[in-house]
Amino acid sequence: MDKSTIVCKCEEINIDEIETALKAGACQFDDIKRLTRCGMGPCQSKVCTNMVREIIAAYTGEPMEHIEYPKNRMPIKITRLGVLVANQETSSVVSVFKESVSEVDTNG
Amino acid sequence: MDKYVDIAIIGSGVVGSSIAYHLSESRQKEIIVIDKGFPLSGTSGSTQAWVWVHNKSPSWYGELSMYSAELYPFLEKKIGDVEYKRTGGIAPFFDEEDREKALKLAEKQAEVGIKVEVLNRNQVLEKEPVLSSKIAGATYSSIDGNVNPFRLVELYIKAAKKNDVKFSFYNPVIDIKKESGFFRITTKNEGTYTAEKIILAGGPWTKELGSFLGIDIPVKQVRGQILVTEPLAPLFRHTIAGMRQTDNGEVLIGYSKEEVGYDRRTTMEVIQDTAKMAVDYIPALANANLVRSFSGVRVIPEDGFPIVGEISNIKNAYLAVMHSGVTLSPLVGTLMAELLLEGETSIDLGRLSLDRFEKKSNGAVVQ
Ligand SMILES: Cc1cc2nc3c(=O)[nH]c(=O)nc-3n(C[C@H](O)[C@H](O)[C@H](O)COP(=O)(O)OP(=O)(O)OC[C@H]3O[C@@H](n4cnc5c(N)ncnc54)[C@H](O)[C@@H]3O)c2cc1C
Ligand code: FES
Repeated sequence: MDKSTIVCKCEEINIDEIETALKAGACQFDDIKRLTRCGMGPCQSKVCTNMVREIIAAYTGEPMEHIEYPKNRMPIKITRLGVLVANQETSSVVSVFKESVSEVDTNG
Repeated sequence: MDKYVDIAIIGSGVVGSSIAYHLSESRQKEIIVIDKGFPLSGTSGSTQAWVWVHNKSPSWYGELSMYSAELYPFLEKKIGDVEYKRTGGIAPFFDEEDREKALKLAEKQAEVGIKVEVLNRNQVLEKEPVLSSKIAGATYSSIDGNVNPFRLVELYIKAAKKNDVKFSFYNPVIDIKKESGFFRITTKNEGTYTAEKIILAGGPWTKELGSFLGIDIPVKQVRGQILVTEPLAPLFRHTIAGMRQTDNGEVLIGYSKEEVGYDRRTTMEVIQDTAKMAVDYIPALANANLVRSFSGVRVIPEDGFPIVGEISNIKNAYLAVMHSGVTLSPLVGTLMAELLLEGETSIDLGRLSLDRFEKKSNGAVVQ
């Protein structure tokens, strides 16, 4: 296959870019993802997972079933942010401003 | 199979990689960086990556953060485009009562040269019309910004490799011993390295590295969860304390803190709290589609401040562990290079020494 063939449609990542990541020492889908953004698009790697796994298998000589899948994260389906808003009494989210004006500060 | 190096760095996150790069600039030393995973598999790959200064208090800590932010444009000239953007930072507050505290913060920060403005509602909306009109005001500084953490770590490593630093990935360090003045570093896959100097930059695993050398490193692990929207048209320009929009249009939202050990799951409860924060700040985000969430584990020294420098009772062993490592990495890399190559630093590291914790337990006054 032509090395410029796009594997990840969402992020427009081609075979060559994936092989470059493998040459830099990447071993897993998630390694390649962090270097190239491959798999981080709107489809969240639904389209490209297996093509990328095949390239990893071909490069490393490992059988396909040994090649890990990317980590799946919530929301598995695209969700509108407003739908998730719930009015809970306490929040695990803190305010940077409030932290900065309290005595001890560990923000960032 | 014994390999000798002058300096071994354990950990190739943003902190270890920056130190490796800065040390390599003089090309005096043989250096290896050893990582149990691949770069960005630790905290540096799951971060907001604000380069944030103006809310860092007390002011001496803000000052350090400012020096580091100031180094970014120069760093970019040296290692390439890390997508550093000095967007200015807005930290909103919702209660009018908070204005006084904001003014006090601005006053304190001014003493060390950090310019903080306290904005009223209209001024906030003028800067960022999408922000909620429920916001009472905000602190603002032009020094704040953000960076692409993936590019940053990748380019630190590339530049270090160009200067002959060696990297060993997927190779956990399983033991460290000091014998006749040298460190013997046992790795899982490549046998033992012997090093004259060692730097521990293991992020959330630094405690374990310390235990190999028989020292306790007082850090805690604090999880943060982040929501990511689909790419949106440019919605806001500044880094807002709680969210930023990346170059490709995604909005990264979140500022949660939970002490749950090294657990990188995301949870529905925090996702909901984070969604609420997003909409409280920017109502228009209610219509944005979420495509992803992720979480990372911050390593936070027990008093909140970086631990950087030589470990006082183990000569030639150094520690670099901190929260806000993205913000601080240019400065910490620079200072560690000065310390290891010249024996002294341009900024006094006394405050950041591990010793401060011992003093505390003896009941002596710290700082
Ligand atoms: C949700 C979240 C948001 C954040 N937002 C910001 C922000 O906006 N701005 C900011 O400046 N900071 C932010 N931070 C903090 C910042 O990301 C961290 O301070 C920084 O990434 C720490 O870098 P590090 O190199 O110390 O750790 P890491 O990136 O975790 O690197 C440590 C490395 O050491 C390796 N290692 C550990 N033990 C061993 C061993 N035994 N053998 C071999 N290798 C080993 C690991 O594999 C790892 O790669 C945030 C953190 C989180 C979680
Ligand atoms: S095709 Fe790769 S993320 Fe959609």
